[in-house]
Amino acid sequence: MPLASSPTTVPVVVDEAKCIAEKGCTVCVDVCPLDVLRISEETGKAYMKYDECWYCMPCETDCPTGAVSVNIPYLLR
Amino acid sequence: MSVFEPFEAFGDVDEIADRLRDPDPSVRRLAAIELGETASPEAVPLLAAAIADPAPEVRRQAARALADFDGIEAARALASGLQDPDAETAAAAAESLAELKDPEAAPALLPLVDHADAFVRAGALRGLKALRSPAAFAPAAAALRDPAPEARVQAVGVIGYLKLSEALPSLIGAARDEAAEVREAAINALAFTRHPSAAEAVAAALDDPDWRVRAAAAESLGRIGVGDAAAALVGALRDGFWQVRQKALVSLGKLRQRSAAQAILPLLDEELPLLRKEAAAALGEIGDAGAISALERRADDPDPDVRKTARWALTRLGG
Amino acid sequence: MDEIKDGLAEVACDVLVIGGGTAGPMAAYKAKVRNPKSRVILLEKANVRRSGAISMGMDGLNNAVIPGYATPEQYVKEITIANDGIVDQAPVLKYARNCYGIIEELDRFGIRFQKTENGDFDVKKVHHLGAYVLPMPNGDTVKKALYRQLRREQILISNRYMATRLLTSRDGHVAGAIAVNARTAEFLVVRAKTVILCMGAAGRLGLPQSGYLYGTYENATNSGDGYAMAYHAGAKLANLECYQINPLIKDYNGPACAYVAGPFGAYTTNAEGSRFIECDYWSGQMMQEFYNELQSGKGPVFLKLDHLHDETVTEIETILHKVERPSRGRFHEGRGTNYREKMVEMHISEIGFCSGHSASGVFVDDLARTTVPGLYAAGDMANVPHNYMLGAFTNGAVAGEDAADVASGIDLPEFDMAEVEAERERVLAPTRREDGVPPNQLEYKTRRLVNDYLQPPKVTAKMRLGQLRLEEVRDDLDTNMMVRDAHELMRSLEAASILDCADMAAAASLYREESRWGLYHNRVDFPDKNDADWFCHTLLSKKDGRMVAEKRAIEPYLVQIEEHERSAYDRQRILKQA
Repeated sequence: MPLASSPTTVPVVVDEAKCIAEKGCTVCVDVCPLDVLRISEETGKAYMKYDECWYCMPCETDCPTGAVSVNIPYLLR
Repeated sequence: MSVFEPFEAFGDVDEIADRLRDPDPSVRRLAAIELGETASPEAVPLLAAAIADPAPEVRRQAARALADFDGIEAARALASGLQDPDAETAAAAAESLAELKDPEAAPALLPLVDHADAFVRAGALRGLKALRSPAAFAPAAAALRDPAPEARVQAVGVIGYLKLSEALPSLIGAARDEAAEVREAAINALAFTRHPSAAEAVAAALDDPDWRVRAAAAESLGRIGVGDAAAALVGALRDGFWQVRQKALVSLGKLRQRSAAQAILPLLDEELPLLRKEAAAALGEIGDAGAISALERRADDPDPDVRKTARWALTRLGG
Repeated sequence: MDEIKDGLAEVACDVLVIGGGTAGPMAAYKAKVRNPKSRVILLEKANVRRSGAISMGMDGLNNAVIPGYATPEQYVKEITIANDGIVDQAPVLKYARNCYGIIEELDRFGIRFQKTENGDFDVKKVHHLGAYVLPMPNGDTVKKALYRQLRREQILISNRYMATRLLTSRDGHVAGAIAVNARTAEFLVVRAKTVILCMGAAGRLGLPQSGYLYGTYENATNSGDGYAMAYHAGAKLANLECYQINPLIKDYNGPACAYVAGPFGAYTTNAEGSRFIECDYWSGQMMQEFYNELQSGKGPVFLKLDHLHDETVTEIETILHKVERPSRGRFHEGRGTNYREKMVEMHISEIGFCSGHSASGVFVDDLARTTVPGLYAAGDMANVPHNYMLGAFTNGAVAGEDAADVASGIDLPEFDMAEVEAERERVLAPTRREDGVPPNQLEYKTRRLVNDYLQPPKVTAKMRLGQLRLEEVRDDLDTNMMVRDAHELMRSLEAASILDCADMAAAASLYREESRWGLYHNRVDFPDKNDADWFCHTLLSKKDGRMVAEKRAIEPYLVQIEEHERSAYDRQRILKQA
């Protein structure tokens, strides 16, 4: 059975102008309980790689530069 | 097959210190975060230096990271952060100061009680509260005359935490402060003693123009637990705010003065079920058999909580 | 990150704690303080900084037994009654006696409880029965304060390692655990003299009505791995048919927090604005009433705050929108709900296992010992009923101290390396398939079947059918699951835990042939409570590779329940038909 790639909107949004991941920051990736955030190899910035979010907010609260915002996943809104 | 280290490294303070000298403020800021996470006492002097960094974002981070430490050295660093021209750094320092617990830290904060900036004075007093240092009493009592109400509120807190009998005149004075939030704090702080002058001051506050102060007074009288207060609380049962009537009912239940029972009966007909319930509960606590027939009417109240409380009260009254 | 690496390391310790949420950090801390010479390892699937049910903190303690307000005996009585009598009282009494000391200790750690203006704990009495609440308006600092203590004590922390199976010695004593890294798939064998499981609830068992796999009541990391691990190690699990079902904000799936807003005067009503809950206790009875109201013409159900003063609402908002589930404010904003003007629509949650709110879990005694020698359990996964956060801390402390004592008297148990090899094969099998079903689809199907066939009202024929369908999913999971990276590997292991829990939910629910605990075990074919045959625990365990069920007598009560107290509660029982 081949796999499809279905689109999904992700709840966590990162403001790349504020994100300092390229300086070595990994706070949001470290604190996410579901481990869904990663640093992009292309942009050097954090992004949500897996749509598996409990909208719990440590990524937003602990981000030192206020770059991360957590929205309610679309299906729950 | 790869070899790996499975344990979290808590950070090597010397290695992080190097990064605190990096020309890039973002790197220095990340170093400040890591220093906090080491939980090592060696990190404190480094964070004390970082809280004087030229870049405000580094100072902010240092102020936050210092929340992980206690003692005079951390307090001194935070005291300087509290005076920072960057509002966010100062706010972070104020929050971190509130985490201090070591009474030895008091000397770092006491001089700031006379600072020119009201934010600094309030922040220093807030930090002093949990230290419970007797040395803070006199400066806090003086701060009750501070022009800024936010500083006076914190001064009441410092005094309230100390629970000293010699503090009574100051707190009674603060209960007549011009700012409602100071009066409310003072009324709450007076609950630690059964001294008649405290009860009297709190009872007087039942006539306060602000409903929150009246509610605090009604609650405090229950905590103080002097039976004479019942007469004043009966008056509060006619207060225009249901919040005040509710607190008065709870306190009357605690005081268990039979003389109050008759005055409570009309509140069994309040519109808000919460108040009917509290009235039934208070009557149950007081235990005056004269309330039985009124409570029996409430045993079939449309509100389940009122019904249950009325039935509970009836079993206590032997009805 | 995430590519699958081939790695295997072995470490050893005296006490291994698995799960770094609430009970786990306290267990590790207490074990280390009890015996500073001991080596303590804390293993966590996420990161201890922000893991577990309290990742964003907690807004209050709702079962604080504080001297001067409540007595341990009174508390034990209430818990016994609220759980329809199916309670071994010794662990509950121990909790009630120890929890105030733990509150004081947490206060010293820097966890901020609400204080009066005199610096004393600001305890709120909720109703005359004596349910006591201690608010934590700054409860968002809980994890930070705990993490600080762990660093000070130099506890060895392994973040992002997911334990998969326990190791046992030939004589049945626990010998450690096997774990896999959630980002590299490297294996870690942790040998230990004692092991404490603090792995949280099974919160990803039922499927939320939104259909979003992670939109659960519990923190979605809590996928029931602890229940599965304990089961496969031969431990007994008690009363799993006593599900967790909770009232929550419709769709948001966050707790309604009536116990936070309650002291301010908020309450639960039906659409007519009238209160309808008769039951005095947080229990399955209460949930049955909730369910009935939802099904009746008077539904839906709301949390009512619109009668409160504007300033009071602001105060409630600051607590509810800052601590525990801070995205709640954002949710209401999206729906245009202002507490001052509109009541908040509520619903009931999907089913799960969680002793925090019910009475199920890995069977433990008053030292937190399971039925496997050297193995402990604490927190939401252990069967001390109605534990909540303070119970997790308190029983975690009990487990940590006893595990440290036991470890100091024994040698490191031997284990069989063949077990490790077999486990590596099981775990890695989905990585070796070129083609197959991804874990998210297997998980969705399992949980959809849980909703369709296992949630109450429970019907025998439906549950049997559910078992057959779950067997088909298991066949796919064993032979056809495929993962592409280490992250998906973690999800595949979680899918297996969830399926194990679903099997246990079905088996336990079919075994107890009566109705008990209100909605939690509302069995349509056996509508009555039957004390003659079922006043007992039910235990599930794995024997010769099969799931078996047995009865276990309730230990004689330490605090007697008077007949009139029990009957007063029974009078509150209501008809099950909506």
